This record gives sequence, structure tokens and C-alpha cells, in this order.
Amino acid sequence: MIDSPRRVAIVGGNRIPFARSNSVYSHASNQDMLTAALDGLIDRFSLDGERLGEVAGGAVLKHSRDRDLTRESVLGTRLAPETPAYDVQQACGTGLETTILVANKIALGQIDAGIACGADTTSDAPLGLNEDLRQVLLDVNRQKSVGGRLKQLTRVRPGHVVPAIPRNEEPRTGKSMGEHCAIMADEWEIGRAEQDELAVASHHNLAAAYERGFMENLVTPYLGLEQDQNLRADSSAEKLAKLKPVFGGEEGTMTAANSTPLSDGASAVLLASEEWAKERGLPILAYFADGQTAAIDHVHKREGLLMAPAYAMPQMLDRNGLKLQDFDFYEIHEAFAAQVLCTLRAWEDPEFCRERLARDEALGAIDREGLNVNGGSLAAGHPFAATGGRIVASLAKALNERGSGRGVISICAAGGQGVVAILEGTEK
Amino acid sequence: MATRTLDSPPRIMPLYVRAAAPMIPGASLLPFVPGRGKEVPDVELELAGVRAEPEAVAAYARVCGFSLRDHLPATYPHVLAFPLHMAVMADGSFPFGAVGLVHVENRIDQLRRIGLGEELTLRVRPTKLEPHSRGQTFSLVSEASIDGEKVWEGTSTMLCRQRGSGMQEARKSYSERTPNSGETAEAPPASAEWKLGGDLGRRYAAVSGDRNPIHMHSLTAKPLGFPGAIAHGMWTKARALAALESRLPGAFGVEVRFRKPILLPARVEFAQTGGEEEIDFTVRDTKRGTPHLNGRLWPLDTEDPGSAGNPKTQAGRSNSK
Repeated sequence: MIDSPRRVAIVGGNRIPFARSNSVYSHASNQDMLTAALDGLIDRFSLDGERLGEVAGGAVLKHSRDRDLTRESVLGTRLAPETPAYDVQQACGTGLETTILVANKIALGQIDAGIACGADTTSDAPLGLNEDLRQVLLDVNRQKSVGGRLKQLTRVRPGHVVPAIPRNEEPRTGKSMGEHCAIMADEWEIGRAEQDELAVASHHNLAAAYERGFMENLVTPYLGLEQDQNLRADSSAEKLAKLKPVFGGEEGTMTAANSTPLSDGASAVLLASEEWAKERGLPILAYFADGQTAAIDHVHKREGLLMAPAYAMPQMLDRNGLKLQDFDFYEIHEAFAAQVLCTLRAWEDPEFCRERLARDEALGAIDREGLNVNGGSLAAGHPFAATGGRIVASLAKALNERGSGRGVISICAAGGQGVVAILEGTEK
Repeated sequence: MATRTLDSPPRIMPLYVRAAAPMIPGASLLPFVPGRGKEVPDVELELAGVRAEPEAVAAYARVCGFSLRDHLPATYPHVLAFPLHMAVMADGSFPFGAVGLVHVENRIDQLRRIGLGEELTLRVRPTKLEPHSRGQTFSLVSEASIDGEKVWEGTSTMLCRQRGSGMQEARKSYSERTPNSGETAEAPPASAEWKLGGDLGRRYAAVSGDRNPIHMHSLTAKPLGFPGAIAHGMWTKARALAALESRLPGAFGVEVRFRKPILLPARVEFAQTGGEEEIDFTVRDTKRGTPHLNGRLWPLDTEDPGSAGNPKTQAGRSNSK
């Protein structure tokens, strides 16, 4: 047993370029993509035959045949088959939550090294049987006599050929995530121009990151795609201003450009104890310092669906004795530009901080120069469970380039949840 | 040897018609129908600029059980070379028609992984006929190269049954050829069971282009001496490689002998022994244990491309990237 928690090193990450839905990765399953992301990580850090403490991963849109998606993916790689694995599902928080899980076990000395990963496809979507048909078939199966079965089968209707399609819809409100975010944007008075500006910055920053070779050891090409397909290096506020709103009605401010597109992709991050990394001569890009998950009540208490990170952040900051301004990098997942802006505005708002977060004063504003410096989800795309791994690896690398410093991650998720985490540079 | 360079992949269906034509009595007298020659022609076909279609690879991977990776399954260049195989065998000077030939052995040397987008030059040449008590054999040697560097070689050995026909004959000839292969040692326990559907031949035909009637349907297999449709040997080999996917080094050799054909539908089991140095594997009937395929896989030393032809060269773990 160890006496105190160990420092958790982020050795590095790998992902496949993210593709737009129904495009280059149309025929790749979650397992194919997750395997590809793991393959690249294994190659990069010579993990051939290595028996890791665990691999935690997941996918948000998952077919029932992908019961043990992560374990099955591990079995398809050159990792030792004796490496345990499990699936996690926490909507868009999945990738960061798996990082927290693996990091905690390393900190506690339960394992020495592990991989946090995630994949999502919106193309190879897990269509289900038509729900009415499913009920009929189950009833047929419950009947003992042939006659009874035939009688049940007479309930089958032509409309039953329509499959159940996974929806981007909150089960308890019936509203899509975009519609929820439009309500938040309205409530926090987020304008169209500032959303478009954030989207443009996202594209420009990601394009610059590719340009200067920053993405080189973060991304491995897959199926002919070498960089994120959604990236528009020539994006501009003028072009974006021409788009029609897609959420919030005709007066809405949210467009296809300042909302993330449906995407396909996978990512993986290698975490380890310092000793484990050093023994193998592997780099330590940054340390995983802390993480926090929070949830809000979007059903009965009218809190904005995607506001949970605003609640998670102060809990984590207080525990670490930090202020919101104590960071050099802010990685706020751009589910929608409006989500990022609502979150920032909430932290700046004394009333919200007093009444909802029970704090004497506001968390305050951040230096926007440090926000999503190497691009965000609006540019890269957002394969739900793969986003956390993308951000952790990219932030760790940014901290490694800087040497010292601190970065914070904030990711909102469906169901009114949010995950935040702190990474620290290796030099003090 | 004459090398003929093709501008585009030969179209398969017309080749099948020509390949099947020698089955009509007397047809071989016609100049464009195979069956006139006494010896395999000394010819090589070359096709440059071959690129795997990602969608086709995805469909192939699904049927054979591979993950869709950024490099080709080691058996996939065989699929790319298959139209050239057919073109060689459909030549008028070829001694017999391709339809009804039995694939008895296949060896693949993957010298390095082939990226999905890489452009290949394929060369296919037949070897000379060799006598065999149940007929005659020859091999089709296929080579894939990238920028002049050989990255893959496949050798398919075909048997032309000449006295009698059918499974029994074919089976005898394999065991005769390889008297000590696999059956003397105690059979290793199975690591997996595969349930093969009755439509497997058609499904593999759709993704490989190999529409030999012996695989398509019992009605088309019976006239050729089989009791029903049989699984493609190259499907069985591919499925076995897919089962070993996580253990495959970047460069390796793998040879298999096709034993008793798998009559579809079927339940077969997969067994393997060995480790880092060499893996022996077998696909056999679940109930009776009759072997359908015996195979051996070994890592190749990528530092020394010359060793590719020597199955005994060991490289331990080889990272070819």
C-alpha cells in the first residue's frame, strides 16, 4: 500500500483524424476506430506485448453487440491480452471521465499504467429494431404453442420495418441538445457575432496547430484522412454571418458553423506513474492533477442542460486552492459556441455565483488568449466519447511545450452532466 | 519470359466464361479457349497503379473478421491480384480451364504492412506444371511492389484433377503430397468455434471477386464433383489470420495447406499452438476433427529482405513501421 497518492503522468495520446458523419469512416465501426486509435498509441510508445493495468473506454452511440467494446478492441491490438478493460458511458463526458478513472487508480497505486479512450460513430449508427416490433417479437417468444405464436405475429404491421434510430434528444425533455443550448443562449443573452467569432478562432487555431506540426504526434492518419475533415482554415466571420440559424427558431443565433457537426472518430491517452514512464524511457508531457464531475437538474429546476461544468469547476478549484485565473490554458469543449460563452458568462456573473454556486463572489473572467489555443470541437469535430481524449492529449502537449503552467478542461455532457479536470506542466 | 503490361484490371466475368469453356467437349480446339497447350505458358502479367478501395476493404474485412485498420489485411493483395490470376488461366495457350481447379496450398510473405492508400504494382506469373498422382499442379506467384520495392508475395498452388474428380480425390492428393503434416501430433484444443452460413461462399465471392461455381451454390458445385457448395480456401485462410490479428508482426510469412473442403453450412473450430517464434494453426471440423486447413505463421526479419524466402529465419518481435 502507498501512504499518499502518486503523481499521474500523461505520457501522450493518439487519435485518428475526426471525420464528418457519413463520410470517410462510414464503413468503420466503433471497434475499428477504437482499435486504430489504440494501434497508433501502441506504435508510438512501443507498447507491443505490454500488459497494462487497465484500458477504460467507451462510446456514446453503441450497438448492443458492442457489449464490451473496449475489451474487444484491446484483444484486437498488440497489447498483452492480459490487459483488463471496461466500458464507460457518460455521454460527451466519457473520454474525460475515463481519464479520471485511470488516473485515480494510478494515483492510488492500484495500477501503474493505463489507457483512457473513446470512440463514436454517427455513420455506422446502431439502428435498433422498431420498438413496437421488438415488443411483438418478445411476446411471440413468450408463447409456448405454435398457435399462440402465430396469433402474436398477426400484430406485425408494415410500419414496423422502420427501425429505431438513435436520437440526439434528451429523453426527459424531448428537446434536442441544440434546442436546449438555444434556450441557454437566450437566457444568457449570447449574441450571434460572438458565437461566430469563437467558431472562427477555433478553425484558425486548429489550422495553425496543424501548420506548425503540433498535431504530428497526436494524430495518426486513418483510411486516407490525414487531418480533421471539418477543419476550414479559411473560415471567416463574414462567411459564417451568412448562415441561417438551425436552433432557436428564425431569430436564433445558433448555426451549423457555431454548433459541432455530427462526426466519427476515436482517441486514446496513455497515463502512468512517473516510475513506470521513466523505466521505459517514455516522456512525461504533463501531470493529471484533479478531476470533478457535477450534474444539474435540467428537468425540474430549469437549469440549462449544458451548465453542469459551471458547477463542477468551483468545487474542483476550492479543493485545490486555486482561482479560475490561475491557469495558462483553458480547454472548454465547444459543443456549441454558445455553451462555451454561457459557461464563461455564468462564472463572471455575481448573481449566478451567489445563488447557484453559493459563493460570495463571482469566479470572474478568464484571459481569452488562453482559450482553446490549439482549436476546439467546432473545428475538429466532436465524436462524442473521443473528445475527452483529444483534449487531454492536446492540452498535455501544450503544457509540455510551455514547460510549466497549468491547464483546465471543461466538458459538458447530455443528461445535465459536466466533467472538469486540471493538468499541470512538469516544471514548477 | 514475356511480360505483358495491362492498362486496367481484367474484367472477371468474361474471364470466367473462357475459364469454364473447356468443360464443353471439343471447345478447347477454339483458339481463345484454354486447353490447347501442353505446358503452362511462360508469361508474366503486370498491372501498375493498383490501389485498394477503402469501401471494398471494409466489406472484405467484415466478411473475413478483420478490423478495419489503416493497412491491408495480409490476404487482401491476393484479392487485388485475382483478376490477373484469372487472366493468366483464361489464356488460350493455358493447358486447362480455371473452373474446377482446386486451390491446394497458399503461401504469403508480407514483407511489410501495406498502407490502405498505397499504390501497388502487381505481377503474376505461373510456374511450370508438376506431376501429381491425382493430376498436375502449378503455382501462381503474385508479387506486389511499391516504388520498385517488393512488399508482398503470394503463391497459390492449384491442382488440376485429371483422373476421377470430387472431394475424395482432392483429399487423397493433399495427404499424399504432405504425408506427415499436422495429423501425427496430438491435436491442440480449439480456441474458437466458427459457424459458417450456407451463403458464405456467395458473401466471400462478392467481396473477393472469386466466383468459382464450386463456392456459389450446391447446384453449381455438384456438376464439378462436390456434394455441395464449399467455402473458399482463401476465406478460411483470411479468417484464420483475422483470428490471429493481435499477434501478427508487421512482417511475416504464412503458409497453409487446404485439406478437406468445408461443405457449407458448417461448424468448424480454430486451434493454434506456438508463440512469438512461430504459430501453427488449424481449422477443423468441430464434430469429427477432420482438418480443413493446416497453417504455419512465422515472423520475417525485415532488416534483411533477402530472408523473406526463408521461413526458418526468426526475428522475434518485429516492428515494421
